[in-house]
Amino acid sequence: MSPVRLIAADELRLMRRNRVAVTAFVLLVLLTLAAALTSWTHQQGIADLRERHQAAAAEAFDAQPDRHPHRVVHYGTFIYRPLSPLAAFDPGVDAFTGSSMFLEGHRQNSANFGDVRQSSLLIRFGQLTPAFVLQIVAPLLLIFLGYGAVARERERGTLRLLMLQGASRGQLVRGKLGALSLVALLVGLPAMIGFALIAGEPGALALPMIVVALGYGIYLAAWVVGIVAVSAAAQRSRDALLLLLGIWAVVAILLPRIAPDVASAAVPLRDRLQTDVSIARDLRQIGDSHNPDDPHFAEFKQSVLDRYGADRVEDLPVNYKGLLALEGERLTSELFDRYSNESYDAQARQNGIINAIGLVSPTIALRSLSMAAAGTGFVGHRRFLEQAEAYRYDVVQRLNQLQADSVSYADDTASDAGADRRKRIEAGNWQAIPDFTYQAPDGAALTARALPGLGIVLAWLVLASLMLWRATRRLGAK
Amino acid sequence: MRLWMFELRLLLRARLAVIALALLGVLTVAALGTGMAEVSRQRAQIAAIPEAQAEDIAAVADYVVRTEDAGSAAYYSFHPTWDAPSPLAFAALGMRDVSPFILRVRALGLEAQVYDGDVFNPELALPGRFDFAFVLVFLAPLFALVLFHDLTSSEREAGRLRTLEALPVGGRRLWRRRVLLRFALLFAMIAVPFAAAAALSAVPIATTFAVIGIAGAYLLFWTLLALLVARLRWSSVANAATLAAVWIVLVLVLPTLAHVVINRAVPVNQGAEIALAQREMVNRAWDIPREDTMRRFYANHPRWADSPPLTHEFHYKWYLAFHQNGDESVAPLVQKYRAGLERRAALAESLGWVLPSVGVQALLTRMADTDLEAQLAYQDRIRAYHARLREFYYGYLFRDLPFGRADFDRAPKFEEGNQ
Repeated sequence: MSPVRLIAADELRLMRRNRVAVTAFVLLVLLTLAAALTSWTHQQGIADLRERHQAAAAEAFDAQPDRHPHRVVHYGTFIYRPLSPLAAFDPGVDAFTGSSMFLEGHRQNSANFGDVRQSSLLIRFGQLTPAFVLQIVAPLLLIFLGYGAVARERERGTLRLLMLQGASRGQLVRGKLGALSLVALLVGLPAMIGFALIAGEPGALALPMIVVALGYGIYLAAWVVGIVAVSAAAQRSRDALLLLLGIWAVVAILLPRIAPDVASAAVPLRDRLQTDVSIARDLRQIGDSHNPDDPHFAEFKQSVLDRYGADRVEDLPVNYKGLLALEGERLTSELFDRYSNESYDAQARQNGIINAIGLVSPTIALRSLSMAAAGTGFVGHRRFLEQAEAYRYDVVQRLNQLQADSVSYADDTASDAGADRRKRIEAGNWQAIPDFTYQAPDGAALTARALPGLGIVLAWLVLASLMLWRATRRLGAK
Repeated sequence: MRLWMFELRLLLRARLAVIALALLGVLTVAALGTGMAEVSRQRAQIAAIPEAQAEDIAAVADYVVRTEDAGSAAYYSFHPTWDAPSPLAFAALGMRDVSPFILRVRALGLEAQVYDGDVFNPELALPGRFDFAFVLVFLAPLFALVLFHDLTSSEREAGRLRTLEALPVGGRRLWRRRVLLRFALLFAMIAVPFAAAAALSAVPIATTFAVIGIAGAYLLFWTLLALLVARLRWSSVANAATLAAVWIVLVLVLPTLAHVVINRAVPVNQGAEIALAQREMVNRAWDIPREDTMRRFYANHPRWADSPPLTHEFHYKWYLAFHQNGDESVAPLVQKYRAGLERRAALAESLGWVLPSVGVQALLTRMADTDLEAQLAYQDRIRAYHARLREFYYGYLFRDLPFGRADFDRAPKFEEGNQ
C-alpha cells in the first residue's frame, strides 16, 4: 500500500465511523434517487399528457365540418411544447414557461398553463431534480465530509506525526483528495443511474449527455479540490467549515438570485400591453385595410389588378378578399416577428449578463451548461416559440390561400339567406393542413451552446487546483 | 449596564461575528433595494397604461364611428386591467414576476383570455428573486448559525468555561446576556433596515410590526435550535455541521420534496382542457342553428330576451352570445381547475405550520398579496370587470343603439381592488 492509498483509506474509515456523515450521505443518495425517480415519472407524465392533448387538438382540427376558411383561421389550433429526453434530468425553465399555446390568425398568443402559475409558493424554493441535487445539495455534503480532512490533522497535531513518519505533503493531500473524490463519485452515482435510464429513451443524444456528465464531474471535482484546499489552508476545522459554508452560500444560493435582478435592471423588457399597442400603431402607419382610400391598400389592389389584367376586383379569377387576408396576415406577422425578436434578443442579453456573473459562480455556469445541453433553457424555449410562430403563419396563410382560390368573391361578399352555405368549403381541406411537429435541435447544436459553461467550470477546477497547490506547499510550515 | 458594554466590546473583538453581522446588514439593505426597484418598475408599467390605452382606443373609435356598430366596438376594444403592488410587495415579490399584473381583455369569451401571461424571461424567474423574504428565510438562519454555534463550546475549547461558570456574575446570567446581545444584533440587522424601507413604502404600521414580529419569531426559532444543539456539549465544529444540516433539510430539501408530493396529490390538468373545450363550444355556434344559440343565451340572461329576432344578416349580438355560452359551458371545468389550485396553495400553507421556512414565506407573500391566492383574486377582479363590460355592450347591441365616439368614454373603467 502506497502512503497515498493508506491516507485515503484512513480518511474513508474515519468518515465511515462518523454516524452523522454516514447518515447525511445515505440521505443524499436517497434524495438523489427520489429526485431522479420523481423527475423521470413526472416528465413521462407531462410528455404523455402533452402528446395526448396534441393528438386531440390535431384530431379536432381535422374533424371540423365544412367551413369558411376564415372561420378556421379563428378556430385556430393548439400546440404543446414537447420535452427533450434530458428534461427528466434537468427540466430547466419548463415549469416557468407555458406548456400550451393557442395559434390563430391576426394574433400572437402567450404560452399558458405553466407549472409556476399553477403551483403553490413551494415551487420558488427550487425543484427536486437530479440537476438541483447535484448543483446545490451535493457540494454541501462534500463540505461536511471534507472540511476537516487536513485541518483536523493540523489541529490534533497528527499532521506533524505523519510527516515525521515520512509522508510528504503531496502524498498527504493526494490521499485526502482521493478519499473525498471517491465520495463525490458515489454522490454522483445515483444521478448517473437516472441519467442511464434516460439514455435508454429514444431521442436521447450522446454528445450532450457526455457534456452534461463531464460538466457535473468537473463541477464536483472543483468542489472537492477547493474543499481540500481550504481545509489545508485553514488554521482550525471550524474556520474551514465556516469559510466553506460561506463560499457555498454565496456561490450556490446568493449569486444565482442576485444575477436576475442585475440583469432585469440592466435590460428592461417591453410588456405585452405596450407591445400590442405599438404593433397596432405600426400597422396603422402601414395602411388601413378597412379604408377604401388607403394608399397602401389602393396600391396593393392596383398591383393585383395589373397582375391579372383586370379592371375590377369582381373580374379577378381569384377571391380578392382572400388576397387581402393574405396581405394583412403578412404585414401583421412581419411586425410580430420584429417585436418578438426584439424581446427575445433583450432576454438573450439578460441571460448574457447572468452568464457573465457565472464567471464568479460555478453554480450559475453549470446551470447554464446543463440547461443548454438538455435543451431546456431559454434558447430551447425560443426555438419552440419561433417554430410555433412559423407554423401559425403557415397554417393561416394556407387557409387564406384556400379562401382566395376556393371561395368566390361574389359568395364571400353576399349576405343573403343561402350565402353562408355557399361560402363553406370541403371539410377534407382541413386534413390536408400539416400537423405541428417540433424540430428538435441536434446534439452538436446543443453541445456547442454548452461549451462556454463547460469552459468556466473547467477554469474553476484549475483555480481550485492552484489554490490547493499553494496550500500544500505551505502545509506544516508554522 | 457596564457589563453589557463589556460584552458588546468582547463581541466586537470577535472578527467572525462582526463580519457576519455587517454582511447580513448589507444583504438585507440590498434585498430591500432590489425589491423596491422591482416594485417601482411595476408601478411605472402600470402608470404607462393610460397613455398607450388612449391612443389605442382612439384608433378603434376612428374605425367604429363609420358603422356605429356596438359589436365592432366590443370586438376591437381591449380594456386594461391591472393588479397594483401592495405597499408590502417589495419585501416578498412572490409570484409577481411570473404571473401578469397587467392584462387587457375584451368582451369576448373570457376563458380564452384570462390565463394569458405577460412577457418575462424564464431563466430570470427560475432561481427566484432576491428580496427581503429570501434574505430572511434562506440566509438569516445561516447567520444565526455563525453567531450561536460556538457560544459555549468555544469557551470550553479555550478552557475558560469552568472559570466563567464560577464567576459571581457568571453562569446562567452571563449566557443569557450573551445570547440576548447576539440575538438583538442579529434581529436589528434584519428589522431596522426593513422598518426603514417599510416607512419609505408607506406600509401600515401594524403590518410593519407584524412582519418584524414574524422575522423575530423565525430568528428566535433558529437561535433556540442552536442553543439546543449546544446543550449536547459537542465541539464547535460539530455544532456548526449539525446546524447546517438542519438548515438544508428545513429550507431546501423538505420544501422541494413537499412541492413534488403536493403537485402529485393534487393534479391540475384542467387548464389546457378549459381552453380546448371553450374553443370547441364557441366555434360550434357557426355550424348549429343560430336560434339554438340565442335560446340558450336568453335562458341564462332573460333581461335581453325581448331583443328583436335575428335576420339572415350577421349580427354581433349572436356572436357575443355564443362567446358567453362558451364561457358558461366550461364553468364546471373552471371551478375544478380553480379548486385544484386553491387546494395546492392550502396544502403548502398548512405545511407552513410544520416548516418554519415555508410558514414565513407563506405569511409574507400573503401579507404582501403576492401569492397564488392574490393571483386568483386578481383573476376574480378581472372576471367581475369583464361581466360589467359585457353588460355595457349588450345594452347597445340587444337594443340596437348606435355606438358613437362619445360612447367609448362611457365604457366601464377597471377599478383597483387593492385596499
